[in-house]
Amino acid sequence: MKKLLALLLVGAMSLSMVACGGAKEEAPAATDTPAATEEAVVEETADAAAATEITLWTYPIGNWGDQATLDALLADFEASTGIKVKVDFLTYADGDDKVNAALEAGTAPDLIMEGPERLVANWGAKGKMVDISDLIDDTDKAELNPAALAACYDASGACYEYPLVMTAHCMAINKTVFEAAGAMQYVDEATHTWTTEDFLAAMEAVNAHTGAQVGAVYCVGQGGDQGTRALVNNLYGGTFTDAEHTKYTWDDPKNVQALEKLYEMESVAFDAGIAGGDEIALFYNGTLNVAFCWNIAQQLNPNSANTGAAKTATGDDIMFMAFPSENGTDTKLQGGIWGFGVFDNGDAAKVDAAKTFIKYMCDSEKTVDAVKAANYFAVRSAAEGTDLSTIWADNEIMAEYNVLMPYLGDYYQVTTGWAEARTQWWNMLQQVGAGNDVATVVAEYCGNANAAAGN
Amino acid sequence: MNAKANSRSRKLVLRETVSSYLFLLPFLLFFVLFVIYPMFMCVFTSFFDSTMGREDIFIGFENYKTLFADKVFWIALKNTMVIVLVSVPITCAFSLWVASVISKMHVVATSAFRCIFYLPVVTGSVAVTMVWKWMYNNYYGIFNYLGTNMGLIDKNINWLGDPKYALGCIILILLTTSVGQPIVLYVSALDNVDKSLVEAAAVDGATSFQAFWKVKWPQMMPTTLYILVITMINSFQCFALIQLLTQGGPSNSTMTIMFYIYYNAFKLFKYGYGNAMGVILAIIIAILSAIQFKVAEEK
Repeated sequence: MKKLLALLLVGAMSLSMVACGGAKEEAPAATDTPAATEEAVVEETADAAAATEITLWTYPIGNWGDQATLDALLADFEASTGIKVKVDFLTYADGDDKVNAALEAGTAPDLIMEGPERLVANWGAKGKMVDISDLIDDTDKAELNPAALAACYDASGACYEYPLVMTAHCMAINKTVFEAAGAMQYVDEATHTWTTEDFLAAMEAVNAHTGAQVGAVYCVGQGGDQGTRALVNNLYGGTFTDAEHTKYTWDDPKNVQALEKLYEMESVAFDAGIAGGDEIALFYNGTLNVAFCWNIAQQLNPNSANTGAAKTATGDDIMFMAFPSENGTDTKLQGGIWGFGVFDNGDAAKVDAAKTFIKYMCDSEKTVDAVKAANYFAVRSAAEGTDLSTIWADNEIMAEYNVLMPYLGDYYQVTTGWAEARTQWWNMLQQVGAGNDVATVVAEYCGNANAAAGN
Repeated sequence: MNAKANSRSRKLVLRETVSSYLFLLPFLLFFVLFVIYPMFMCVFTSFFDSTMGREDIFIGFENYKTLFADKVFWIALKNTMVIVLVSVPITCAFSLWVASVISKMHVVATSAFRCIFYLPVVTGSVAVTMVWKWMYNNYYGIFNYLGTNMGLIDKNINWLGDPKYALGCIILILLTTSVGQPIVLYVSALDNVDKSLVEAAAVDGATSFQAFWKVKWPQMMPTTLYILVITMINSFQCFALIQLLTQGGPSNSTMTIMFYIYYNAFKLFKYGYGNAMGVILAIIIAILSAIQFKVAEEK
């Protein structure tokens, strides 16, 4: 009996530790009785009166992850509208888990700040977000970047994100080392672009000069994977998805050619031990001389050794670059778009308060401050008469970075089955790095991604 | 008089029984809520297509069928078994050896060594993992630095990025964080061994190995059984290391069942599928525990 009890306890411990899932939502009642409707109206009125406090969860998007910056912005908002905003800061390491757990428990925040790949393709597609298309009128449509705005809508026309800022993800080179290696001749310094041929020549030159690995196709996980996708897709003009975002197309022969080329390069190694963040650290400390995971945030970052913006820890100059493409000017950069979405918590008054917040931050004379807090570029040209196109004119690096914005490519992260597809991508890179036949593994993993997308 | 005394005695017993259960009640409530209920839900949900944002759909054994046809699940199961089969015996043997050595030392030295070996247990797992990550670093890690300088390796090894080494690296970290508690338990078990029996064995001419094997070891069996079960469960549930260091890669070479459950349940939101894996894991752990109980009983 004692033994049986002990075994049962072992089983209980094991099972209770792995049990996953959460409380399910109650199925909606088939019809509302007049009494229930009346109660709902009374409740709604009471809520409207009480909706002076809403919650915002934000990922670390520039200084939107910084308490002091937000305190100032939110104090202004409260003084102007009487609505208090309580903030909670998420990290990319565990933010998704936290939001998902809150959604399961029915304790999701009223507002969230992130990009369409989460707000539209994930929580929006699962019916957790409020359609906020009523916030966007014809004037807004004229002022907002059309590609960024399009990414905020799903196929049915519902809008789950009001965009605030955007940037283009790019790559970076150690300009000082490139100069010493005589590789700057392959770089168009004015436009920050290069052709595939020039990229290959430059990498070879730096490799010959340093005798060491120059760059890494990092693939331990999904962190910074936009860089490896952009590198592979641009090298010979391949695509990641179709234009309608219904199918993954990275089994395109042009991508196979790019992966084969990267694998055979002496200067590049496929590294299944590091992610994008590790690669950035290795680039800052001078171990690597190119970084495929880069954007304006890194370019502005004074780095851990505090040697200044656009410098490595040893003081070398960093130059941001577009990803190489066949003619150098047809590169398509992965866009980063960030804005606000509203969770459907069944409280109309809080939804209204959240919409007021969005309008205040994204389309008012205060939008300048909200954009500057994010350290990215405004997604609209003007807001309520304020010109937003020149707000970074006084910042040399930001102004220079603007040359990349015309290369913003398709925002394909809203394709169905995105979470699974990302995993298939970095697992595929690991297989390529292990020396397996490229065409075979590309076909297998792209096939898995399409299966997850229901194709 | 006798009947009156019996009645008082029964009342006393009843009162003590009731108060005992009342003392147990908070723990029982906690146990039912956080162990029994999740366990029941785990089994129940494994028969459903359960995901976020919609009602569950009953699918019978479909999750289990999919599971047994899932190539990655079998890789994860194999890796998990390798971790268990390597780490459990080494942890137990190493802990016993260390405990038997330090238990003979001066009480201050014993305490000092116990503290040293227990440190990794009380240090935050993230901090420990980050230090190991730095040591394994492909570009400037201390293992590569020492290996190349001492002529043991020709060029840097990508310890965590090479399928040949990654699982071994994970097991090594697991070992260093697992031995602390067994050492403390074994030291305490060795202290509790009946000294008169050991002395009697010595008088009868037993060697120190014979005294250990025939006298001390049987007395330490309950402790060993506890250590075996706990170490085995910990090894089966190795998750944080994988999440922080390799995320199951490279090429699934460090994919474990726990990490695969997490990935399916909380990245792909396949709760039912994740729970089906949990049920299988629990069955395996229960079978292995039963074997351990049986073997220990025979000993």
